[in-house]
Amino acid sequence: MNDNNNKDHIKLSLPNKPEFVSVARLTASSIASRVGFNIEDIEDIKVAIGEACTNAIQHSSLNENDSYEIEFILDIDKLIINIRDKGNGKCKKDIKTPNVEELKESGLGLFIIKTLMDEVECISCEDKGTEIRMVKRIEVGV
Amino acid sequence: MALEIKKTFDKENDRWVIKPNGEIDIYTSPEFKETLLDLIEESETDIVINGENLDYIDSTGLGVLISGLKKLKEKERNIIIINIKKNINKLLDITGLNKVFIVKECK
Repeated sequence: MNDNNNKDHIKLSLPNKPEFVSVARLTASSIASRVGFNIEDIEDIKVAIGEACTNAIQHSSLNENDSYEIEFILDIDKLIINIRDKGNGKCKKDIKTPNVEELKESGLGLFIIKTLMDEVECISCEDKGTEIRMVKRIEVGV
Repeated sequence: MALEIKKTFDKENDRWVIKPNGEIDIYTSPEFKETLLDLIEESETDIVINGENLDYIDSTGLGVLISGLKKLKEKERNIIIINIKKNINKLLDITGLNKVFIVKECK
């Protein structure tokens, strides 16, 4: 279906509004299914993108008229997803394992993404925004 | 589908049961938070979250459960999560929250 030299790209731009995060999740499910992931992996991708979008909205400039971009890159054996916001660019470099003894109401999102995806990179540029790049590979022989 | 929340009082076990129907995410978690925290404010019982019809929860929803639990612990009460679906159980497992809440009868 996909030629390695000619990967399919799908781009989505969403307003900084909580009510549209479900659109990203549905789109991601549909794309992941097209790439050929199994149901459990599709669910992982859906949860991860939901967390990344939530992160983008929470760290954005709080201007609802702004938007953030999601890019899906479809490869033969993997799906790459980039989420770029125009926020304050304050994304934690080290993603910590949550401390069960002293739980906080926030800060779980990036940890969840890291656990569910095969690769996660969080690139922040002060005052320019944050880009979360995540990769999910199709397990061969399963 | 958004979120619908039903709450009923379980007389037999003397506790409130909250049954969320749909998805708890950044959009619907404020509503879930209001329902849960109001209930905690006005009651002195354990609270059961029946996840039978809960399809999805994200970190903002888990955050609501954590803040609810903190308030309930002040009254020496607990949150008991029952009938949750496999995908949600996975999230509780990876975040370690299954050790914080009482999780029973997973599907």
